[in-house]
Amino acid sequence: MTTDHDTDTRLLMRPLNWLETQSEAVFAYVLLAPAFLLLGVVALYPLVRTFQFSLLADQVSAPAPLGGVVGLDNYADLLTGRALLSQQFVDPTFETPLLQQALFVTVAFAVLSVLFETLLGFGQALVLDQDFRGRRWVRVAIIIPYAIPIVIQAMIFFLIFNPTIGFGTEFMQSIGAFGSNPLASSSDSFLIVLVADIWKTSAFMALLILAGLQSVDRGLYDVAKVSGASAWQQFKYITLPLVAPALLVAMLFRTMDAMRIYGLIDATAGCQTVPSLSCLVITSVFGTRRWATASAVAFLTAVVIGLLVAVYLFTLRNREVGMT
Amino acid sequence: MSDDRQPGPAGVDRTDEPDIDRGLVEAWAARMISNPERAYRAAFYVATGFFLVTTLFPFFWLLIVAITPRGDLSDIGVFTPGGTPRAEVTIPLLEWTLAVPTGVPADVNAAAFFEIFDPNVVPFHWYIFNSFLIATVATVVVLFVASLAGYVFGRLEFRGRNPLLLLVLVTSFFPPAAFFVPLNRMFNANLEVLKPLLQDGSLYNTPYAIFIPLSALYLPLSIFILMTFYAQIPEGLEDAARVEGTTRLGALFRVIVPLSAPGVATAGVLTFITVYNEYFFSSLMTDKQFQNWAPMLAGLLKFQGQYQVLYDLMAAASIVAVLPVTILVIVAQEKIVSGLTAGAVKE
Repeated sequence: MTTDHDTDTRLLMRPLNWLETQSEAVFAYVLLAPAFLLLGVVALYPLVRTFQFSLLADQVSAPAPLGGVVGLDNYADLLTGRALLSQQFVDPTFETPLLQQALFVTVAFAVLSVLFETLLGFGQALVLDQDFRGRRWVRVAIIIPYAIPIVIQAMIFFLIFNPTIGFGTEFMQSIGAFGSNPLASSSDSFLIVLVADIWKTSAFMALLILAGLQSVDRGLYDVAKVSGASAWQQFKYITLPLVAPALLVAMLFRTMDAMRIYGLIDATAGCQTVPSLSCLVITSVFGTRRWATASAVAFLTAVVIGLLVAVYLFTLRNREVGMT
Repeated sequence: MSDDRQPGPAGVDRTDEPDIDRGLVEAWAARMISNPERAYRAAFYVATGFFLVTTLFPFFWLLIVAITPRGDLSDIGVFTPGGTPRAEVTIPLLEWTLAVPTGVPADVNAAAFFEIFDPNVVPFHWYIFNSFLIATVATVVVLFVASLAGYVFGRLEFRGRNPLLLLVLVTSFFPPAAFFVPLNRMFNANLEVLKPLLQDGSLYNTPYAIFIPLSALYLPLSIFILMTFYAQIPEGLEDAARVEGTTRLGALFRVIVPLSAPGVATAGVLTFITVYNEYFFSSLMTDKQFQNWAPMLAGLLKFQGQYQVLYDLMAAASIVAVLPVTILVIVAQEKIVSGLTAGAVKE
């Protein structure tokens, strides 16, 4: 028994001992291998394949969904509005090409949600930055929406705006904003999804802004007070400029995340009612079996997000250069 | 630290004006003007109250829906369960009518909380179990792989460090939809290699199809968190362990990881919560049957899709499914806050 055990250990130790004798660089690469294997299989390789697929032809009824190489035709069809995708009704006349609808929905959602989340998140951060009794519990209450599953967030707003049991529809109708069945109307559903997202993710902005607020030197406020600055002036000339870098990073993260919106839409109004870019990918794969077109949409989404990130990073960098 | 920003009650009293004979509102306004600090305090309380109500109210309302008997579902109010006796009260001047509760609802009950586990409707406990299993496995995988990578990025100097770190960062930028079509094809393919392990040799309808993509997608965040923590362990401790005779890997798992326990816990809690909460792959990689490892969200959507009018069950199931993460947030809120901010600040 003991000898068996010994050989077992020795077998186990052999690769470890081999690793001991290698240079630091080899050691580093070996340790990084599992991480890059995982990222490679799930992210990097599929991304390349997505681009490859997008260059092939759709075969809606053939056994294999992907046909021969057609080059950039799928992109051309999408951008000129010739692509045959399941019809949507943001534009009831069916004249707006689908990609434009999806692009409009996604960008509008990203801009509006990030804007409101930044404002509300800033408010929450300012509250959490104070010292008061029960601060810990207020913080828990504010974080909880951020930590709940997307499907439950969707369920809550599905129920609130359900015409039979929810109070939301009645209220919105009384101020004249909603039609009779909001979860079947594109513009009403868009608002519902927007409100649901703001409810959940303002907390994320709040946490990142709070981190920025707490790194501000409190001495600056004393100086401002002695110089007779009002609270608004303190906010404008001390808080805002010093928090700006953290704010921009937080906005970058939120924008990337908002551009991926799928689950919330799928579980409330459905992808047909509010077509986002991610929704379009899924409906093209499962709804119409147009894999190549779906890949083209997916790759375009990635490109749009990539461009956005580039713009943000560029702004951040310019700010840093300007400050030093 | 903040004492100077919030004068105590004594300070407020001293700056108060002497009591002139004024109306209530006027006196209040005068006090606000003579002492702006007081106005800020009032604004602070209003804001805190507003945020507390807006974040917590939906949960309260969910509970109201869950305890309403099925026959009274269409009668649910904003603050009261269905079946509550109400009286219409008209507010003068505004001409609004409000339904004011005049009694206690008779039939509210918690039956919905038991019915959601009924195997003849939707065996929700199996869906929750699947979610827990997937989230736990993903967390273990992520922690192990991210520990190795975090150690390398945090403590070693080697050629290609920065480009590789950038590559990790870039993958976290892409939307899951950008990977979906090839992954869907990959996981649906019948692979001869997997035949001995899985029934038909395809990964679709297995927990692998969910936790492999999710582990990869949430790996970067954990790498960044662990990297920061591992980088802070003094060089001397690692050297001491090496002198004692452990291997480099031994030093990582016996010295650096235990000393970075808060960081590992942070990465673990965040990974568990994000995998449990994920929607995209969780909804697309199984056929939504609990026998086929469909996670919690599939069960919840079953209540919504198949049984159109069982709103009380939807609400009850949502409350049950949200409890685990709520408890995690209450227990580990410091970790979640530090993890989210560290992850973002690093990047």
